Amino acid sequence: MSPQITTFPNEKPEHPVTLLSMGGLMTGNFWSMFCGGCGYGIIFQLFDKVFVEEKLDPFKYPVIIGIGCYTQGNTLVPAASQRVTTLHGRAPAMATGIKLANPAMKPIILTGDGDCLGIGGNHFIHLCRRNLDSVVLLFNNSIYGMTGGQVAPTTPQGSSTMTTLGAVFENRLDGVKLALAAGATYVARTTVAHPRTFMHYLKKAIKHAGTSVIEVVTPCVTYFGRKNVNDASQRMDTGGLLLEWIKAHAVWNNQAKLLSEAELADKYVIGEFREEDRPEYSAEYEKVKKKAMEG
Amino acid sequence: MENESKRYMAPGKHVLMGNVAMAEGAMAAGLTFFGGYPITPSTEVPEHLVWRLPEAGGAFIQMEDELAAINSVAGASVAGAKAMTATSGPGTSLMAETISMAAAMEIPLVICDVQRNGPGTGLVTAPHHNDVFQCKYSGNGEYEVIAYAPMSCQELYDLTIEAFNAAETYRCPTYVLSDAYLGHLHEPVVIPTAEEVKKLVVARAILDKPNQEKFTFLDREGNIQIPPAPVLGTPNFPTTFISQPHGPDGIPVNEDQVLKPNTLLVEKITKNVEKIARTEAYMLDDAEVVIIAYGLTARVCYHVVNLARKEGLKAGLFRLVTIWPFPYERVKSVVAGAKAIVVPEMNLGLMAGEVERCKPLAMPMYKVPKIADIHEPGEILAVVRKAKEAHP
Repeated sequence: MSPQITTFPNEKPEHPVTLLSMGGLMTGNFWSMFCGGCGYGIIFQLFDKVFVEEKLDPFKYPVIIGIGCYTQGNTLVPAASQRVTTLHGRAPAMATGIKLANPAMKPIILTGDGDCLGIGGNHFIHLCRRNLDSVVLLFNNSIYGMTGGQVAPTTPQGSSTMTTLGAVFENRLDGVKLALAAGATYVARTTVAHPRTFMHYLKKAIKHAGTSVIEVVTPCVTYFGRKNVNDASQRMDTGGLLLEWIKAHAVWNNQAKLLSEAELADKYVIGEFREEDRPEYSAEYEKVKKKAMEG
Repeated sequence: MENESKRYMAPGKHVLMGNVAMAEGAMAAGLTFFGGYPITPSTEVPEHLVWRLPEAGGAFIQMEDELAAINSVAGASVAGAKAMTATSGPGTSLMAETISMAAAMEIPLVICDVQRNGPGTGLVTAPHHNDVFQCKYSGNGEYEVIAYAPMSCQELYDLTIEAFNAAETYRCPTYVLSDAYLGHLHEPVVIPTAEEVKKLVVARAILDKPNQEKFTFLDREGNIQIPPAPVLGTPNFPTTFISQPHGPDGIPVNEDQVLKPNTLLVEKITKNVEKIARTEAYMLDDAEVVIIAYGLTARVCYHVVNLARKEGLKAGLFRLVTIWPFPYERVKSVVAGAKAIVVPEMNLGLMAGEVERCKPLAMPMYKVPKIADIHEPGEILAVVRKAKEAHP
């Protein structure tokens, strides 16, 4: 059974990579089931573009997907890619098994802020600590979107969510700082408002030997935007307004050095934070194995 | 990468610890990945495999917790490795989530559960067959597992090989249920030659051609047939590999179509019970008192039957080598002609409930519970005598 290709004669593909994804193949459009204003459509389009431009072998770059709204991105990643949908938060652990069982592979892990920093925090820390050759794309929309807008570990202080009475007063968790502390060797953060930067980072991460973590700040209009206001006290219920808010709150890391801690409290510091070569787990293990097999 | 010269243990008689025999059984079965987390009383399994696996070309990793351990095992199995983990009761409960996922995605994997006393932390070095229900019922959803209950170090070796074969054939989580005493027992184990072992082992089937008919992992129209597990990085991998209920192409289905895939997950095991279930009968032909036992307790019961026969008591033993899937039909036929049933267990009587489902309502059943220690033959024998006296 091959995916049925429905053609719309009068409709041109919106994007040159449209027909790469399973959803695109089936509908002829860049099809997605995300809400209006969601950033995942942008991310997956860029992801597909990088996948094609870099000529990635689908057999060598399996896509390991966690649980969240982006799980539906299953239909938006290249149709030829091999994807495994795991349990909530367990994608890094499953990728570890895949990588060790077949060291020729480089898993690309798609995970979200609740998935990676909440329920799967421990697995994420230890993936970074081992410096296992893999790419982690951490989609940060500051909220639990799929379950309906509950507070996430990354929700900024002062926001309103479905499961906080009044404003959020918990400290928020910084995925980049966590990855740096845990020992990931390529760490960067960008937003969907910076598509070229994202593609640039992703290409670098794919070539980097070791754990690469790219946090992508992405808008959730339905559950974060609608319940929160921007600096002009305007409800951020459209994709544009929330994207503007993200842009306004994104500070490049070289500029961030000039800002005080209080000023950075509600900002997303973007840019590259670390790029270094350190022993990679599976390569080191192969050495151990070789020695054991000879000895 | 495979180093066959170091995979198999030298043939002949070895004195092995139970946990080591289990690890060697896994090696013989073609283990290529072990992901674990240390927990008493199973620690000797990772301690043995940490050097045995790499020299044979496999991979060993100690993960950060049991959740990660079982997920790495599932991941390795998806990538084509024969994978297992070793744990105890508390670890198994943490793994429940992923075991349920593995059942849904039909990922073959083996879990060696060296059972210890519970609930909670329990007495960590004391045996207690309290995971016999946990191993099947701990995860969410309806699914079936296969569980072996060995009673000697030799069986730990042999049945671990069988467990791997069953996992490959039926594509479901498979348990080897050892316990703290059995795991630390040192006994002679006869290791067969590498050629003999190779004949026993069911290898992972890898389809080399993209074949839509064959790669489907729930395509069982009419007769239930289980296609080989898809391997990541080969052309036979489905469009999407997901733990949601899915159709033959791997694409998730809706509420109105979910009945079939969920039923098939259960029926692939329940309809093959006669093939999967392994039982042993000892002096059952004329038995009036039937003892039903499994695991280390069954070993005591062989002696109990001998003692009872010396006294002229017509006792017999029906031993469950696999406890899941439970062989209801076999147990029904065994207890049909009996006057009384005795169910000694190293717990308060868990499997006795399953036996109760098979016996006629009026038939008396005696439980012989024991916790954190092995039964004395006399304890069971006393109950056999009592049963015989009450129902002559």
